[in-house]
Amino acid sequence: MAWKAIDRVNAPAEESPSLSEPLKEKIRGFFDRYPTKRAVLIPALHMIQDDHGYVGWKAMEEVAELLEITASDVFDTVSFYSHFWTHPKGEKVVMACRSVSCDLLGADRVLDECKKVLGIGDHETTPDGKYSLMTEECLAACDHGPCLMVNEKMHKCVNPADVRKIIKDDANDKLDMPRSSLYDGANRTSA
Amino acid sequence: MSDYETVLLKNVGKPNSQRLATYVEGGGYSGAKRALEHTPDDVIDVVKRANLRGRGGAGFPAGVKWSFLPKDREVTYLCVNADESEPPTFSNRVLMEEDPHQLLEGILIAGYATQATVAYLYMRAEFAEQYHIMQVALDEAYEAGYFGKNILGSGYNLECYIHRGAGAYVCGEETGLIESLEGKRGWPRIKPPFPAIQGAFGKPTVVNNVETLANLPHIVNRGADWFLGIGPEGSSGPKLFCISGAVNKPGCYEGAMDFSVRELIESDRFGGGMRDGLKVKAVMPGGISMGILTADELDMKMDFADPAKYGLLGLGTASAIVVDDQTDIRKVLRNVARFFSHESCGQCTQCREGTSWMYKMSNRVERGLGRMEDIELLGEIPAKMGMMPGLSICGLSDGAAFAIRTIVEKFRSELEGYVRSENDDAVRIALEIAN
Amino acid sequence: MAKIILNNQEVETREGIPVLQAALESGLNVPHYCYHPGLSVVASCRLCLMEMKMPHPKTGELGWAPKLMPSCQTPVRDGMEVRFDSDKVNENQERCMEFFLLNHPLDCPICDQAGECHLQDYSYNFGKSESRMVDQKHVTPKKDIGPKTLLYSDRCVMCSRCVRFCDEVAGTSELCITNRGSRAEIDVFPGKPLDNPMQGNVVDICPVGCLLDKDFLFEQRVWFLKSADSICTGCSTGCSIRIDQNEDHVHRLKPRFNPRVNQWWICDEGRFGFKYIHDKTRLTQLKLRRGESLESLRWESLAETVQYRFENVAKKQTDKKIAVVMSPFMACEEAWLLVKSIREVAPEATLILGPVPTVEQDQRFPAGATNGDTKFIIRKEKCPNRKGIELIIKHFGGNSESFEAFVEQAGKGEFVAAWISGGYPTEWVSKDFAKASGKIPLKVVHDLFPSALTEDATLIAPACSFAERDGSFINATDIVQPFARAIKPPQGCKRDGQFLFELAELEGLFQAANVREMMAAEIKEFENVYVPPQLPEHQH
Repeated sequence: MAWKAIDRVNAPAEESPSLSEPLKEKIRGFFDRYPTKRAVLIPALHMIQDDHGYVGWKAMEEVAELLEITASDVFDTVSFYSHFWTHPKGEKVVMACRSVSCDLLGADRVLDECKKVLGIGDHETTPDGKYSLMTEECLAACDHGPCLMVNEKMHKCVNPADVRKIIKDDANDKLDMPRSSLYDGANRTSA
Repeated sequence: MSDYETVLLKNVGKPNSQRLATYVEGGGYSGAKRALEHTPDDVIDVVKRANLRGRGGAGFPAGVKWSFLPKDREVTYLCVNADESEPPTFSNRVLMEEDPHQLLEGILIAGYATQATVAYLYMRAEFAEQYHIMQVALDEAYEAGYFGKNILGSGYNLECYIHRGAGAYVCGEETGLIESLEGKRGWPRIKPPFPAIQGAFGKPTVVNNVETLANLPHIVNRGADWFLGIGPEGSSGPKLFCISGAVNKPGCYEGAMDFSVRELIESDRFGGGMRDGLKVKAVMPGGISMGILTADELDMKMDFADPAKYGLLGLGTASAIVVDDQTDIRKVLRNVARFFSHESCGQCTQCREGTSWMYKMSNRVERGLGRMEDIELLGEIPAKMGMMPGLSICGLSDGAAFAIRTIVEKFRSELEGYVRSENDDAVRIALEIAN
Repeated sequence: MAKIILNNQEVETREGIPVLQAALESGLNVPHYCYHPGLSVVASCRLCLMEMKMPHPKTGELGWAPKLMPSCQTPVRDGMEVRFDSDKVNENQERCMEFFLLNHPLDCPICDQAGECHLQDYSYNFGKSESRMVDQKHVTPKKDIGPKTLLYSDRCVMCSRCVRFCDEVAGTSELCITNRGSRAEIDVFPGKPLDNPMQGNVVDICPVGCLLDKDFLFEQRVWFLKSADSICTGCSTGCSIRIDQNEDHVHRLKPRFNPRVNQWWICDEGRFGFKYIHDKTRLTQLKLRRGESLESLRWESLAETVQYRFENVAKKQTDKKIAVVMSPFMACEEAWLLVKSIREVAPEATLILGPVPTVEQDQRFPAGATNGDTKFIIRKEKCPNRKGIELIIKHFGGNSESFEAFVEQAGKGEFVAAWISGGYPTEWVSKDFAKASGKIPLKVVHDLFPSALTEDATLIAPACSFAERDGSFINATDIVQPFARAIKPPQGCKRDGQFLFELAELEGLFQAANVREMMAAEIKEFENVYVPPQLPEHQH
């Protein structure tokens, strides 16, 4: 109802996860990289999203406390970037590129196929919590369009006909390569 | 098109090209060693003499940018712009994926020249694989003493950290990048003060693009004259070009800036001609922000000077998307308009409102519900937005303006043809429903 | 000092201030949203762009630069030449206004801001009459963002003033911007509402009807409101305020620019602290006790009654004392007139400053600020004129006492008569005082509300609230500031200044300024009364 105001005075009812001590420690581990604690925010949000699957209200409040900023500062930053989810997403996120290169090579049909196969729309999650779908402005793999990314793994030159096979493949997000022990930034499903 | 010795991509395809050992074996880090034997001002001087123009899009000379740093500074930050988000650009991706140490050596040289204390490699979130490659390479480089304290016994200290973005095109703008690095929304800052005076964390800061830095080891090793000897005056040095779309060999190629768009498409060295017998309808030769060329304008040279003669904003990222003659120009228009509407940061009025309005119209035009007034407006709105006429804080809106304006100007008759063939009643009803 | 050429005319201004500020001060109506002199410059609304003469990069010849420049971000330099009256500038303004209205709901008929809205004014002055967008508008939600404030996102122009206010002045940073591009909105973190002690200012600085005061919501169409310049009585800071009223009912208080005191701001305590003035329980009748009962007394008889009775006790009971208790809510003029009149009949009368309501400590802003970076102080002393009353007491000299000593002595029956002026907005008579006052046989109680004192007062004189009075206060930093009445007092009341004027046997009507002139002849502090400069007409 357009005339009804959204309640922002009271905290949202839904529960969301807290930061574990090891996660906090990992975030603190980044403090000496930057002259301000606030600069650790985006790395911290990545770590939180890797750990929780998304950045919930509780996590935003707690990371704010950790970085000595306000929760609204965190909300501001989180909402600006398209990669952060403020509600639970699936274990795997299918990112369909829709840049001009991929688009001209049929990205729209690939995206439609993804929606059909997964049964969800943009920024939605399958009921079993396995997949979320989102569109990307450019995955910088225009030489191999249309592209799909499943978590960290890039699928190149995707035909609409390939989509079902890619999604059915359990290893569709497995990225087998050397990783640094510093901060792997790995999505929890492929680590 | 002259004979060309591959420089930047010379390690591409080598087995284990990402490993330090491979890189060092091919002469890697010798440029950095040489630089460290000279004074920082010597390094700035050679880069200035080489007239290394920024490869990120604006083409501002890197050496000049460095010399804006105040003399009495105590802390300097180097930000490496690896937020490559301009469709259809992927040259930085190739550089980082295939030869991470070349970039790291460039960072070390730039860091030394600017006397930076910390270098932040700002990498877009979509680079997952590339992130792992860079981080592993960085660990190797630290291990070998190319970063950290007292680098190669020179007394120079440089820390380097990778900072991952989170999905925002505007963070490729240097002050948007700095804001994002500070943990804020990537809203570009008003200038002055320029980053060289007051950048990241309020300290003097230099922001350089990946490809710009990748050139440094070669300039230091081979000298300014070698660099100036490649390509035409004002556009010298090795350059990466991307080509994608309806060509036989889409990819990232290296060359001097001495050939035309036609050659980029047709030459076997590059695009290898149009695929499936398709014809060129249009090319956006510098990333979508620079604007579009028609099939009659393919003689444009891929250098810093020529694009302006064709009504384009500049050379941009020298990444071409080739639109074939079977493609509806409305699809290109809508896609480009959507991109800018999605990526406008929302700070300046003209860009925030203009891009979303243009998207609404171009979306409707593509669905066959356009009006002649829409075509008129799509030509008019972008003519009055952007940093060039002083109407916005950053250049994003210039990109939106040039992309959309050139499409509408150069493909006006095609767009009008579509509109003319529409059913007027359908348009009227659609608009009534919308309101 | 700097001279610039503005629209072809030489204008004297100050070096280094934003050109926009200089233009506004010269009387020019330059449209702007994001610029506010009390906040950092973001130059994002792009409405105040101007043309500027610059040397040609090659020839060095001075000419109009091809780019428009944000006048808010460009500092004044002596000799510079700028213009706002060119086609290029006007075209940008017109286009901006079209952009601002693209997704605006145009719901002025139900918008509180209508009538004082800069979207309305600028559209009329600089915009187009019609939108050329035929597509569906982007609709953003209304949000309940705090106990006192509503946010109608769909009316927002993204000037970010409110966000900067919370960051830079209040220092509490509750507000933020969420999302980006045309989907950007102002928001708070859910469950952490906008609730700082200065939050009302965000409604004032919102140039459109996006941020709304719940207290004023749908109260009045603003064009019915009439204003008077007053001083806030909430604490000893003495902020300049504007009282907005209609038909003698105060609907809201707004800050008034005062560079020496409150700049552009006021706190919520002051802003919303006026409700008591319309309280139905206020004293409104002049009453005299005859035996057990209180009888109405005509105002014309007040002076005579008071003089007669005070003179009587002063002469007959020379072993006992007479008190004049003056609350720090009284104006300087009122106190002066009162002391003058009472001392006339009872020269030995003891002058007493009434209780000074005080809380634990000052609140400084931005929250956590120390001396140097303080932008605003809500003072611990919750009254406007302690210093004024003290000055009057000191000026008249003779007997005076602290309030505590007075209560103690009164309790011992040392006082035979007292004039007690209250005027406190809340309950102020302590148990001790109530008990002690019972021992004072002749008691004139001049107050806003009934209390233990009025129960056995000989004479009850109803007081007027600050909105109904004229006079001056001396604030915590010793600035004498006048304030003017906004509304008529309730039926039955007479303005305090007027009846005290009559009590002092002065001829004619009470005029605060005239009385101040008389005072200034005796007390040099009243020679200089500070009236803050008006903001330029087009500044907001």
